Amino acid sequence: MARVRVDDVLMRYPGAERPALDGVSLDIADEEFFVLLGPSGCGKSTLLKLIAGLEHPEAGRLRLDDELVNYVSPSRRNVAMVFQNYALYPQMSVLDNIAFPLRMRRVKRAERERSACEVAASLGLEPLLARSVSQLSGGQRQRVAVARALVRRPRVLLMDEPLSNLDALLRVEMREELMRVHRESRTTVVYVTHDQVEATTMADRIGVMSEGRLEQVGAPDQIYGRPANRFVAGFVGSPPMSFVEGRGEDGVFLADGVRVALNGRATAGPLVLGVRPDAVRLTDPAGADGVGEVHLLESLGGDTVVVVRVGEQLLRALVRRGQTPPEGSTVGLALDAAELHLFDESGATLP
Amino acid sequence: MTLRWLGLLVFCVVAVAPFAYVVSASFKATQSLFSFPPEWIPSDPTLGNYERLIGDLPFVRWTLNTLFVAGTVAVLKVAFDSMAGYAFSKLRFAGRRPVFGLMLATVMIPPAVLIIPLFFLVRDAGLLDTYWALILPPLANPIGIFMMRGFIDALPDDLDKAARIDGCGPFRTYWHVVLPLVRPGLVVVGVYAFLIQYTNFVWPLVATSSEDLYVLTTGLARLKPNFTAPDWGLISAGSVAAMVPITVVFLLLQRQFVAASLAGALKG
Repeated sequence: MARVRVDDVLMRYPGAERPALDGVSLDIADEEFFVLLGPSGCGKSTLLKLIAGLEHPEAGRLRLDDELVNYVSPSRRNVAMVFQNYALYPQMSVLDNIAFPLRMRRVKRAERERSACEVAASLGLEPLLARSVSQLSGGQRQRVAVARALVRRPRVLLMDEPLSNLDALLRVEMREELMRVHRESRTTVVYVTHDQVEATTMADRIGVMSEGRLEQVGAPDQIYGRPANRFVAGFVGSPPMSFVEGRGEDGVFLADGVRVALNGRATAGPLVLGVRPDAVRLTDPAGADGVGEVHLLESLGGDTVVVVRVGEQLLRALVRRGQTPPEGSTVGLALDAAELHLFDESGATLP
Repeated sequence: MTLRWLGLLVFCVVAVAPFAYVVSASFKATQSLFSFPPEWIPSDPTLGNYERLIGDLPFVRWTLNTLFVAGTVAVLKVAFDSMAGYAFSKLRFAGRRPVFGLMLATVMIPPAVLIIPLFFLVRDAGLLDTYWALILPPLANPIGIFMMRGFIDALPDDLDKAARIDGCGPFRTYWHVVLPLVRPGLVVVGVYAFLIQYTNFVWPLVATSSEDLYVLTTGLARLKPNFTAPDWGLISAGSVAAMVPITVVFLLLQRQFVAASLAGALKG
């Protein structure tokens, strides 16, 4: 229920060499589900703590709607947070946990218990209200943490890798649950994860971070289809994109064992070609875009990733089960011309 | 195996015998104390020593004084030390580490060195020979803060942060979230402080002189006259009686005490 604006924020932990956040700017719309995605240590959790008020920026501005909140204490921002390890109060019952934020706002007992019950009901927690939180399973604790965050109708709901402690099946279920909660509450959500599946399935927009910088912001489709640079291209997508280093010559990309027509794109000089495994087909070696030897087979169940050694470099192709060539055999590779990504030496995407 | 049992038995006897002897002596008339060979079970047991202790001497007053002083110190220490421990553990402020180090360094000063300066301090404050003189100085001992910080360090930081976001300032975080979770720690610090004050002898001896302010330790010491033969039966009875309240306190809190020592072991 609020717009979040981060403006050129710099943040450094005491004693750290490199800033944890280095000139990050971000504009998150009201009611948006925004996911911060990146490897561990990229600064995504720091950015979340900054929005929560648990950390303060060294430079830059942080606004909730039009209010500058750089130095507003967490308790006065009316933001809520769901922690990775849930951070429930172990000495309190489920009901008391959910009602706690209202109690701290001096809401009367009857009223806060009514609100808590309402939120608990929407998350299927009603039968557990009297229990102690230590008796709950991981999934139930997660629901209690979400309920506690929602009960006071926060302006922004922050979530710090909330699903990473759950097992795979429960994670899928909770993902859908969280999307429903967002749809119903219409709260602005900022969600931190290193799991790109969570990011692409849940997000309205994704911000990909690396080493304290925001590498790209866009809709999941945009991030996947038109990555802004080599880092984003390599980080998003599973199995990951393959990169082949080579050079451009007369509209053709050349590398040891690879020769692909670029259809008039790009120029001469050193180039990096990026291609996702699902844009690579195995064909007859004669007249193929690339020729190599099958190096490794990785079964994903329905599909198999065929890792092909082309010259000194590795290229991955996604092949249906039962159509995999034997290891060590020589195969030809056909690359989908519409799905080729080109990067310059610095890693920036070329048109 | 037998050898080990034998060894344990020897240590057991060495540890228990003096205590048993004092208990035995407290039930004897002083004349029969010096019979030879010594009698472990008095042939002519008497409650006379205890009667004189409670009837002729202000033993009850000493006990109440002791309980009042030790109890007050324990309660105040638990309050102060848990707050200070919380600050040192979870709050970030300039000079946190140096201040904590400095405070801990005071532990290295031998208490005997402090007696005289402390005496002047308390005298100049006009508190000599008052309850304040018995209660205030022990509060400045940093061991409790160190212990409380340890207990609070074991709580996850996220709990603290969650409380902040849920609308607590530092004090309400301490009160609503931290305190209930370190209850075993509070018991340990409280019992420890109580025990130290209960057995403290030198400082009450220095700081008080009027008989109304005698505590058990100073009171018992006065039972032994300077120039005449001491009444060992009476002194034994006093020693045994003085052990009763502290034993009761320990038994009452025993379960919490054990819970505290296990808390760290079982927490995942």
